[in-house]
Amino acid sequence: MLKTALLIAQKDLRLILTRSAGLSQALLLGLLLVFLFSLSLQTGEKLSPQAASTMFWLSSVFCQVLIFQMLYALEEQNSARVGLQLLPSQVQAVWLGKFLAGMLLLLIAQVIFIPAMFVFLNQSLGFYLFHACVGILLTDIGICACGSLLGALCVGQSGKESILSIILFPLLVPLLLAAIRLSSLGLADLSEIPSVVDHAEILRWHGLALAFDALFCSAALVLFPFLYNGDDS
Amino acid sequence: MKKYAYMALIGVLCLAFSQFLIYDYAPTERTMGYAQKIFYYHLPLAWWCFVSFFISFVSAILYLFKKNMCYDRLSAVSAEIGFLLATLTLVTGSIWGRQSWGVWWTWDPRLTTTLVLWFIYAAYLVVRTMAMPNEKRAAVSAVITIIGFLDVPLVFFSARLWRSIHPAVFASKGGGLEAEMVHTVIFCVLTFAFIYIPLLAFRLKQVQQLQSMETLRTRMLYEEN
Repeated sequence: MLKTALLIAQKDLRLILTRSAGLSQALLLGLLLVFLFSLSLQTGEKLSPQAASTMFWLSSVFCQVLIFQMLYALEEQNSARVGLQLLPSQVQAVWLGKFLAGMLLLLIAQVIFIPAMFVFLNQSLGFYLFHACVGILLTDIGICACGSLLGALCVGQSGKESILSIILFPLLVPLLLAAIRLSSLGLADLSEIPSVVDHAEILRWHGLALAFDALFCSAALVLFPFLYNGDDS
Repeated sequence: MKKYAYMALIGVLCLAFSQFLIYDYAPTERTMGYAQKIFYYHLPLAWWCFVSFFISFVSAILYLFKKNMCYDRLSAVSAEIGFLLATLTLVTGSIWGRQSWGVWWTWDPRLTTTLVLWFIYAAYLVVRTMAMPNEKRAAVSAVITIIGFLDVPLVFFSARLWRSIHPAVFASKGGGLEAEMVHTVIFCVLTFAFIYIPLLAFRLKQVQQLQSMETLRTRMLYEEN
């Protein structure tokens, strides 16, 4: 299954990264959100780390919606999806393949969003950088697991971007809370971090993100075959 | 259906009697005054909303593994009623919150969990209105119900970690409630059972009849052509 998943991810990445409009649309949307939010700041004013972190995740989640919509749209033309459904492998390989490709594309996008956040929202690197990086990685796994599952849900539907967003965003609330709290620690210096933040609390947020990842990866593996089958034509 | 009609009648009578309990039997809360009375409907609404979503979740699992459309209908109807109850829970909670905390909305585990569930099931109801084959719609709806319900403990825990000011009503020795208040709220919870069960049964019958009519219509159109 892993080999098939890697092949699917490779195919998707090749198709998206070689197309001129591929990832750039999602990237532009995320950057625009960060830029437009910077208009709320006065000259020289610094946004609080938590608000900047929220903005970063808002951009990431909108970007992720477009990424997964794009990944599943690749097989829409000429009914190529039937080819994937007939693969001599478990159908979960498709979920895993899309998950891996989506994860890589999201990480690329975030590498661009982080400097944009420093520039437009006047942020700088903070104290708990390691915890913030682990938090970003765990959150990306969770949102890509959900995105890959729900992307399949919207296959062949009109208005799929909006449907994906309205289903995905409420589900991601617990993970986004953990993500915002953890990544804000990576933007705040010691004076900005409230005294109540201790290592035990940081570990609890990591634990929550990990639990979300485990729960939704397992749920996706069980539920994906019910969504990605031939019943929808 | 007749027994459900009787049940609904008992529910209406109990609802009328609950007014007496709320305004006469149960004492008025010292700090919040009459505004606290909304609690006697807020709590049953919240509990039955969660019961409804749980029924929807179990039916969704049963549908995926048995492929019986009866379970899909039960899941859909429970979600509809749960959504209605969640809306009323949020409205009554908001009114109560305004009186007791001075704000219409605050970040609290129970409030956030209910609101997130409300959003998930609102999306679910949107998906159910989309044009797609019945089997596909049932499978998609079941998946949304399952992942939505699985998300609930995580939402609750994350919101509690974030911050919380909600009172724990039955957490420790009745949460400071007088015995009369406890009796009244238990009566209200039971009263809502007499309203919830007939509502579920009537709506289920209605959806079943609607689907039968649609099947009949499709068959007639097919025979005409």
